[in-house]
Amino acid sequence: MSETFTIKIDGKDCTALQGETVLQVARREGIEIPTLCDDKRLDPAGACRACLVEIDGQRRLQPSCAWKAADGQDVKTHKASERVQRHQDVLVSLYMADHKLDCEGLPIETGNGNDLRAWAKDCSTLKLDPVNAPRVARPGDKNPYIEFDPELCVLCARCTRYCDEVEAVNAIALTGRGSETTIGTAGMRGLLDTSCELCGGCIDTCPTGALIEKKAAKTLPEEVEKVRTTCNYCGVGCQMDLNIKDDEIVRVTSPDPGTTVNDGNLCIKGRFAYDFVHHKDRFTEPMIRGEDGQLHPTTWEKAIAFAAEGMKKVAQRHGPEALGFVSSSRCTGEENYLMQKVARAAFKTGNIHQCSAT
Amino acid sequence: MFGAGAMTNSIPEIRDTEVMFVIGSNTTEAHPIIAMEMKVARQRGAKLIVADPRKIWLAEHADIHMQLKPGTDVFLLNAMAKVIVDEGLVDKDFIEKHTEGWPALRDNLAKFTLEEAEKVTKVPAALIREAAIIYASHKRAGIYYTLGITEHTHGTDNVYSLANLVLMTGHLGVRSAGMNPLRGQNNVQGANDSGCSPVFYPGYQYCNDESVRKKFGEAWGIGEGPGPGKNLNEMMKLVEHGEMHALYIMGEDIVISEPNCSVLEESLKNIEFLVCQDIFPNMTTPFAHVILPGASFAEKDGVFTNSDRRVQRVRKAVSSPGNARPDWEILGDFARECGYDMPKYEHPGEIYAEMAALSPKFSGISYERLEKNPRGLQWPCTTPDDPGAEYLHQGAPLRGKGEFSTVDYRESAELPDDDYPLILSTGRVLYQYNSATQTRRDEGTNAKAGENFIEVHPDDAERIGIVDGEQVKIVSRRGGIKAKVWLSGRVQLGCVWMPMHFAEEAANRLTNDAGDIVTGTGEYKVCAVNLIPLKDARKSSGSAALAAARSPKSA
Repeated sequence: MSETFTIKIDGKDCTALQGETVLQVARREGIEIPTLCDDKRLDPAGACRACLVEIDGQRRLQPSCAWKAADGQDVKTHKASERVQRHQDVLVSLYMADHKLDCEGLPIETGNGNDLRAWAKDCSTLKLDPVNAPRVARPGDKNPYIEFDPELCVLCARCTRYCDEVEAVNAIALTGRGSETTIGTAGMRGLLDTSCELCGGCIDTCPTGALIEKKAAKTLPEEVEKVRTTCNYCGVGCQMDLNIKDDEIVRVTSPDPGTTVNDGNLCIKGRFAYDFVHHKDRFTEPMIRGEDGQLHPTTWEKAIAFAAEGMKKVAQRHGPEALGFVSSSRCTGEENYLMQKVARAAFKTGNIHQCSAT
Repeated sequence: MFGAGAMTNSIPEIRDTEVMFVIGSNTTEAHPIIAMEMKVARQRGAKLIVADPRKIWLAEHADIHMQLKPGTDVFLLNAMAKVIVDEGLVDKDFIEKHTEGWPALRDNLAKFTLEEAEKVTKVPAALIREAAIIYASHKRAGIYYTLGITEHTHGTDNVYSLANLVLMTGHLGVRSAGMNPLRGQNNVQGANDSGCSPVFYPGYQYCNDESVRKKFGEAWGIGEGPGPGKNLNEMMKLVEHGEMHALYIMGEDIVISEPNCSVLEESLKNIEFLVCQDIFPNMTTPFAHVILPGASFAEKDGVFTNSDRRVQRVRKAVSSPGNARPDWEILGDFARECGYDMPKYEHPGEIYAEMAALSPKFSGISYERLEKNPRGLQWPCTTPDDPGAEYLHQGAPLRGKGEFSTVDYRESAELPDDDYPLILSTGRVLYQYNSATQTRRDEGTNAKAGENFIEVHPDDAERIGIVDGEQVKIVSRRGGIKAKVWLSGRVQLGCVWMPMHFAEEAANRLTNDAGDIVTGTGEYKVCAVNLIPLKDARKSSGSAALAAARSPKSA
C-alpha cells in the first residue's frame, strides 16, 4: 500500500505515510499541536498560524497542517522549540486583543466551547490594547437557529470553507477587507434569504463559539449531559449527541468527524428540529372513545383492556384475516419485532406491514 | 435479483467512487448527509450522472443530466443497456460466472433504440449514449435511487432495469459500486429486518417456508406460525371495501400517506375498531377508538437499522411527557391482555437478543457489541466475532446467480388528457419530514418551507394565466386542493411538482392509488391534474403577488 517512512518530532521517531501532513503524524503519535482553522473534513488552509512548527532546513516556521511530512524530516513543536513557543505567546495575545474576554482576562467560554480559551491558558500572554476592529454581524438576521458574534470570530474561515467544501451551498463567505473582514452573506442578507440550508455545520466547526445555536446560546457545555443516539428522520442513520439539561433536550451536537457514519455532519432536521419532543401537542394520556363519540382520557389499564377487547371481538366475529397491523419505520427494531409478534403469535394473522411500504 | 433487499454498498464508500448514477433521488433534500458524501466524491473527480424529471440541485452540478419525462425510466434504462451491449462494454466474464437469463435480456433490448428512447423519454439520444458509456466503462460505478424509481405502477420494473445494468457491467461485489436504494425513514430497513412484512418473518425468512413458520411458531409457543398476509396497499383496499374490520396502527398516519386518501378517510368512518398508537394527533387519529400515547426516539432504548444495513443504538435521554410510554412496553401489555403469553421484557436488549437468536442474518449482533462499535454493525453479521459486511455480494451474488429480468416499457396508469393536461409528481423538501407532525413544530423548518406550493413551468403558467405566488386549485380525478404557485425552471413543460407534507392541503387527495403489480406501492410520481386559477386570490401586479406570498395562509 502506501509508502511509509520516519520523521522526528520533538526528538521522537514517528512513522509517517506518503502524503500525510506533519500535523496528521503528530496527532496519531499523541503529540499536541494547537490549531484553530483545522478540520479533518476541509482542505488545509494554513490560516490561523496556531500550528506553526520549526522544520529543520526551513528559515521560517511552517504550518504543520499543510506541510507534508518527508523522510528524515526533523520537526520541533512549541514543546521543544522556544521560538515556536514565543510565536504562540504573541499570536494568542494578538487574537485576544481582538476578542471578547471575561473578568479574568481570558477568552470567554461559550455554549459551543472556545478553543482559544484553553490555548491561552497554556501560553504566557502579553497584555495588548484592544483592537476594536469595526466588524459587523448581520443584525437583521431573523433565522431562528444560527447566531454570529463577530467579537468572538478569529477569521479562521472554517465555517465558510465548510459551507463551500462540505455543504457546497456557499451561503457565507469572508467579506470586507482588512480589519473589517467578517463572515458575511451576499448583500449581508439574513440566512433565511440566502442559499443557506440551516445545516448548522458552521456552528459545529467553529472553534471559538462565534457561531452558536440561538436556542441554547447561554447553556455552557459543562451544564449538559450528552446522550449518543441515532437521528430519527431519514435513513442515513446519523449519530448525534442529545445535550440534556433538566430532562430536556437543549441542543444537538454531532460526534467528531471520522468517528461515525455521518462524519460529524448533520442536516437542519437532525441538528435543529427537536422541539417536537417537548411539544404541548404530544399525546400524554391514553384515550378511549366514549358513547358520546368523543375521545376521553383514561388509565393505561382501561385503555389496554379496551384495545384488547376491541381487537379480540373483531377476530371472533370475522376471523383473524379481518385484522390488519400497521407497524412503523419510525419505531425501533425491537418494537417492530413485537408488533409482528403480536400479529402473528397473538392473533395468528400474517396481515402485518409497515408504513414505508408505500 | 441478487439476494438481499438493501443497499449493496455503504454510505462511507461513496466518496471513493468513480461514477455516481443518481436516478429518482433528490438526494440533497431527502438524504442530505449522503449528498455530502456525493459532493466529496465529486470534488475528488467522480463523474455524476443524474436522471430526474426536475432540475434538482444535483442535476445542476451533474456531468450529465437526463431530464426524462416522468414514468419513462424503463425505456431510458433499457436504451442505456442497449448502448452498453452495442459498444461492447458488457462484463462478459461476470455475466458468464455470476448471472442467468442474459440471452433473453440481450435479445429483448433490440427494440430500445436511442432514436425511440429520445421520442419516449425526451432525453437527447447523445446524452443517453454518453451516460451509458461513462457508467459501463468505470469499475467503481454506483447506482443510487429512491422513491422516484419505486413509486410507479411499474416500480418493480424500474428496479429490475437498474439491476440489469448492474449485472451486465459487473458492478456488484465491488467497493464503491453496486445498487443502492436510499431508505427514506430512520428505520425502514429495521422494520423489514424485524419481520414487519407480509412475506417475511424476522431476518428475511420467508413466510411461505414451512420450516420457518414452525421455527417461529415453536419459539413463540403457538405451534406453527401463520403464512403470508396482506400488504399495506391491499389492507387499505380491504378497509375501503369493508372487508377488513379492525386496524392496529403504530406510528403512522395512513390517511396523509396513502394515495387517493379521501376514499380511505371515508371508509375509516365505518371501521369497526381502530387502535392508534402515536405521539401526535394526525389525520388518522380522529377515527381511532383508542389512542395509546407512545414515546419519541429520545425517550426510549432500542436500535434503528439505517439505509446501509447498519444497526445502531437509540438511547433514552429524556422522560416521556405525562403518561406516555415506550411503544415496546405498550405492545407487551397489549399482547398479554389479549391472552398471549408475551415475556415480560425488562429492557429492549432482551427483545433484540430474542430476535437475533431466531435470525441468522443478525445473530452476531448484540447490545454489548453495539456499545463497543460507534459506527454500528452492518448485517449480515452471523457470529460474535463477525465484523459485519461493508458491501454485499463479494465474490458472487448472495443468491448464487444474479438474475436478469426482461422488462418491457409500460406507460404510467394515468396519463394527461384534455381535461387533466399536466403530469403531477409529488415528493419531499429538505425542511419538512413526511407527514411533518414533527418538523412543522419547529420554527426554522417552517420559516424555510412552512406552506404548500406547486412548482409550475413559466410557459404553462402563462397559458393557464397564473402568476408566481398566486393561490391555485389543483384538481385530479380524485380530488382537489389548493396551493401557492411557484414558477420554476426546475420542472419541465407539461409537468408540475408538489411536496406531500402538508396535511391541510394534502397532495395525496390528488394522487393515483393504482399500485405496482408486485409490491402494491402507489403511483405517487405520476398522475394527471389540471390547475384552476382562484379568482379571489388572484393578483395582477408582481409586488402584490409577492405580498400575497408572504402573508399567512388563510386556508
